[in-house]
Parts: sequence; structure tokens; C-alpha cells
Amino acid sequence: MGGWAEALHRLWRAMGGIGDREDLAELVLPPLQELPGVVAVWGLRHRVSDGAVAEYRWTGVPLESEPDRAVARRLAVWRDGDAVVVDTAGETLARHGAARVIVAGFEVPGEAAGTFLLVVDAEADVGRLSGCLWQVIDVTREAISRLRRRRADDDQQIRDALLAEASLQMDAVLDPGQTMHRVARMTVPAIAEGCLVYSREGAGLVLRSAVHVDMRRLAGLLADEAAASGLRALAERAVSGDGERSEPGDAEKVGARLLHAQVLRARDRVLGVLLFFFDRAESRLPHATFLRDLAQRAALAVDNSEMYERRRREVVTLQEHLLPGRLPSVPGISVAAAYAVGDRALDVGGDFYDLAVRANGVVAALIGDVCGRGAAAAALTGMSRHTLGTLLQEGVSPARALSRLNSGLRRDGSWRFVTAGVALLRETKAGLSVQWTSAGHPAPLVVRRDGRTVPGRGGGLALGIIDEARLGRSRLLLAPGDTLLMFTDGLTESRDRAGRMFEDVALHETARRLRDLPVDEMVRELSQAAKDFGTTGADDIAVLAIRAGVEQR
Amino acid sequence: MNEDLIMVVEDSDEDVEAIGRAIGRSHPDTRVEFVRSGAEVLPRLTADGAIRPGMVLLDLNMPGESGLDVLRRLRAHPDLAGLTVVVFTSSEDPAESDACYAAGADSYIYKPINFALFQTVLRQTLDYWRSRA
Repeated sequence: MGGWAEALHRLWRAMGGIGDREDLAELVLPPLQELPGVVAVWGLRHRVSDGAVAEYRWTGVPLESEPDRAVARRLAVWRDGDAVVVDTAGETLARHGAARVIVAGFEVPGEAAGTFLLVVDAEADVGRLSGCLWQVIDVTREAISRLRRRRADDDQQIRDALLAEASLQMDAVLDPGQTMHRVARMTVPAIAEGCLVYSREGAGLVLRSAVHVDMRRLAGLLADEAAASGLRALAERAVSGDGERSEPGDAEKVGARLLHAQVLRARDRVLGVLLFFFDRAESRLPHATFLRDLAQRAALAVDNSEMYERRRREVVTLQEHLLPGRLPSVPGISVAAAYAVGDRALDVGGDFYDLAVRANGVVAALIGDVCGRGAAAAALTGMSRHTLGTLLQEGVSPARALSRLNSGLRRDGSWRFVTAGVALLRETKAGLSVQWTSAGHPAPLVVRRDGRTVPGRGGGLALGIIDEARLGRSRLLLAPGDTLLMFTDGLTESRDRAGRMFEDVALHETARRLRDLPVDEMVRELSQAAKDFGTTGADDIAVLAIRAGVEQR
Repeated sequence: MNEDLIMVVEDSDEDVEAIGRAIGRSHPDTRVEFVRSGAEVLPRLTADGAIRPGMVLLDLNMPGESGLDVLRRLRAHPDLAGLTVVVFTSSEDPAESDACYAAGADSYIYKPINFALFQTVLRQTLDYWRSRA
């Protein structure tokens, strides 16, 4: 038995290098085959769930024919216990030259059990072979335990990595639809072959994202109305608390091995359901607690993105209310405005504009910018627009209207300041006269019909800083077809990567290029050009354009 | 067709190394052939006597012919219609996955940053398509 001792020693050493249970038979069966009197060594692997034989392995006589497999199944002993010696008289094994079969089984908790069948001839020393078989079973059991521990470590590492990457991916978007899609994308195929994401809308569930390793297969399934409603019913059952794992029949109906539903719940509210499809082996299924953990993180990400979306809509609504719903139409001129919200879309910006038409036909166009963002800036924006608009409408001069606003700001003790500019437009024989009054606001620009651009003069000091308003005044004249462009500093100060400002590099050229467009298109294109020019897009942009003469559309 | 051969179309050195290492560990018997640009794919697959791989793993963002271009050309070729093509990408643009499926991709798989996860994703993808072969 010196040879056997060496073989066993080699076996113990080689066992540490096994990376998969699939490779185990190739390691443990051949040494037994070398022992005197051994005709064949057969190995059976049993299913965890019911003990049925799932895999056949062999050396010597192949275990391929159904009669041999039937004998092997009948003799299988897949529990720990003494080796059993079976006489093969009357068995089909006799034709292989077998006289007896030594059968021994083993169990490893949580793993598929196994049976060894040592098919031996009449001369074999059964007692010694049984001893050798138990020694090999010891090696096998230890190898399976080590594989299990290594797999548990690997699985834990993968679960940690998946949760980390999933959180990163989900937190990177603030749109609920995209968040749901990313959940499904991250899990397939790392933990499941497919994933459906349902969101709760009203009393029902609506499918929002569907991802599968084999998208054609999933698309075919979802196109089948019966299958699709069956899946939704399964998700609805999970919401009502009827278990997470599907019944075997449910999975079979959709061609999967197993389905598993996880409810998306955040802040005591059901947001939807994740429905996982599994085709993989039982040993590769993720644990239910991991799926619950993943669902919990996904639910929080979805909830956050929904809250963000609600807040964003409120801000957009508030912003819209701070600006005139519609500019009045004025005989003899064409007017249009555009407002582009900056990146920090969760705060209301402070840009404003308006147009007041006096009873005598004089038009006052105003534009302004309250420093800062948020609720306090929004309140001041609304107040500034209404104050200036009302005073100008009533015939108060721009200088006096701006001074009154300055006094109001100083009286309230506001630390915020406001830049503003008013263009008073009057028809004259020479054309449309523009009287520009500025309180620290960017100067307007006149774009002549022939393409020349004439900058106005800014000047003055922002309102709310000193008690006596300091204003800049200048005059411009518009001929028919000329356009007066008024804007906030979000447009002029939009900066490219090199730090150059839109006003210095591209404003005049862009305005010239857009001059033949209708004014509504001109303001839209101009604010978009400034946004595209800038790299941060952090500030809001307001543009108000007045063109002398009515456009023919 | 050789089920044990996988063609990987990938221009990044880092991803070539990672894919080779991952498949080498999870499927040591699988041969991996790397093609470093989109333009080389069709000539390689349609050459006389060429061995057809069991699967093509395709990167999307490559200089020159993109992964999507390669996919469209593969699907337009009558002999390659049944070839399993898996798009393996870090792109998160939903429009890109729609375009890939419309062009005939069999799978559109996310490319993780973490190597253990990267290996798992590749192993599961290979196991899935082999079980369906």
C-alpha cells in the first residue's frame, strides 16, 4: 500500500488547487481506479432539494448507458454511513466483469451530497478497498467544504461590489425612469438572468424597465399578453405580501427556472416591485437577504429621484409665475422673450423682464436680475418686477421708478441687490427712439437690419446698495427692421473652457447671424447659443428683444 | 463553429487584459481571440476556412468603425446572421442599448468597474449563451 499512501498524499496536496466542484471527479476517481481489483469508479452527485441524481462521473467503465445508470441510482447511498457491499449477481454489471459494488455516500451541509460506487471483480480485497474509499471521501468532503468557503468569500466580495456600483450608478441620475432602468441593468447578468421593474401608479403596477441577457426572449415573452399579465400578477402578489419566490409553475410558464419578486419600499411607501428571472444553477442563486438589501437601496434611489422631480416641477412652476405669462402685443413693434434656466435647477433664479404699455402708446421694456437664488431671491424678483412694471405703466419715469425700488430695498434692509434696465420706446419721425436707463445692468445691443451691431451704454449702480440710486442714461434709435436686445449677465458672462466670455467672443457675431429670424426665434437661438458656448451653464439667461416694425410671418 | 472560441472586439489595452484574465479564470478551456479594431472583424469572420467563434463580445466605443457599425455589418451578412453577439459596454445611454437591439445584438451587458463583478458578469453571460447553444 506504499503506492496508495503516496497517491493519497498527492490527492490531499492537489485538492487545494481545485477551483470548481466540476473538476473534483477528475481528481478523486482515478487513484481508486488504480487499486487492484477495481473495474470502475462511479461518482453520483445528488440534488440538494430532493436527493435525485443530477450528475454522473466515472473512470473505467463509462456510466453512460441507462441500464447502468438505473443500477447506480438504485444502489446510491447519499447519506453518511458505513460502506455497503452489494453482490452484483443478477445485476447487469456482471457483464462488465464486476462481482461486487462497494457503495458509500457522504453529505456536506448545504451542498449537493455524493455517492461513490466502486465496481470490483471477484478477486478484490473489499475490506481494504472500503478503507481506501473512505480516505478518498474524506478528501472529497474537505475539498467541497473549502470550495464552499471560497465561494462564500467570492460571493460576498461580488455582492459588496454590486451594491457599491449599483448605489453609485443609481445616485448618478435624478430621473425616476432612468434610476429604475439602471437598477435592472446593474443586476443582469451579475445576479439574475433578467429583471423587470414595476412602478406603483395609483392602485396598480406599471412595467417601467425590462432587461434580460437575452432581450429577444424577454421581448417575446412581454409581447404575449397572458405571460405579461401573469408576471404582473406575480409582482402584485408580492405587494400584498404573498411571498417572494414564485411557485414552480409560474417560472415554468415563462421558461425560467425561478422567479423572485422584491417589493420596492421607502419611507413606508410601496414604490414598485423588482421581479428577477433566474436560469442559473441553484448554487449560483443569490440569497434572499441580499436581494432585499438591493431592493431597499434601489427604493431609496427611486424615492430620492421622485422627490427631486417633484421639487424641480415646483421650481419650474414658481419660475413661470415670476415672469409674465404673455407679453402684450404693441402696434408697430415686435416683441419676444426667452428664459433659460441654469444648471442649479432646484433653486428659483432671479432674472425678470416685463413690458408695460402706457395709454399714450409709449412702451417701457424692463429687465433685471436679483442677486442669488432660492425662495428669498424669488420673493424679491416678484416684488421688483411688479413694482417697476406698475410704476412704469402709470407713467412714472424710468429714473423715478428705479429710484423708488432702490428706496424700497434700502427701507426693508435687504442685503440683496438688483440690477435693472428700462428701455422707454417712443415713435418719432426719425424712427423708434429708445431711452435707456440703467442701474448697474448689462448694456443692451442694437442689431441693425444690415447686420451692424451697436452696443448701448450701461452704467449706474445696482439698486439696494446705496440710499441714492445712481443711474446711467443713454439714447438709441431703431430704424424699421432694427432689433434692440436686452439681456441679463447669464448671457454676456457665459464662459468657454478658456475663460472667455460670450459677450467678448460671440455675442455680436451671433446676433448678426440671427438678425433675419423672427424675434421669437432670435431670442431662443441667442440664449441657446450662449448656453452652448458656456461650459458650466450655472446662471439663468433672460433675453428680451424688440424689433421696430411688425414682422410679416 | 467552435463553441469554445470567443472573439473579443476591443481596442482598450486595459479591457483586453481584464477580459482575458476573467475568462481565463472562469472558463479556462475557452480560447479567446482578440480583434483590436472594428474594421478587422468582418474580414476575419468571412475569410476562407475561417473558424467561426461561438460568440462575439463587442465593445461599442472604438475609434474608426464603432461597435454599432460592426454589428450592423455582421447582421447584414447572410452567413453571420446566427452568430451570438454580446455588446459589452460601460455606456449608460438607454438610446444606445435600443440602437444595439434594433441592429441585432443578442445581449447588451453592463461593463462593471470592479474586477470581481466584471468576472461574474462575463462568466454568467458565457454560461447563459452556452446553455442556449
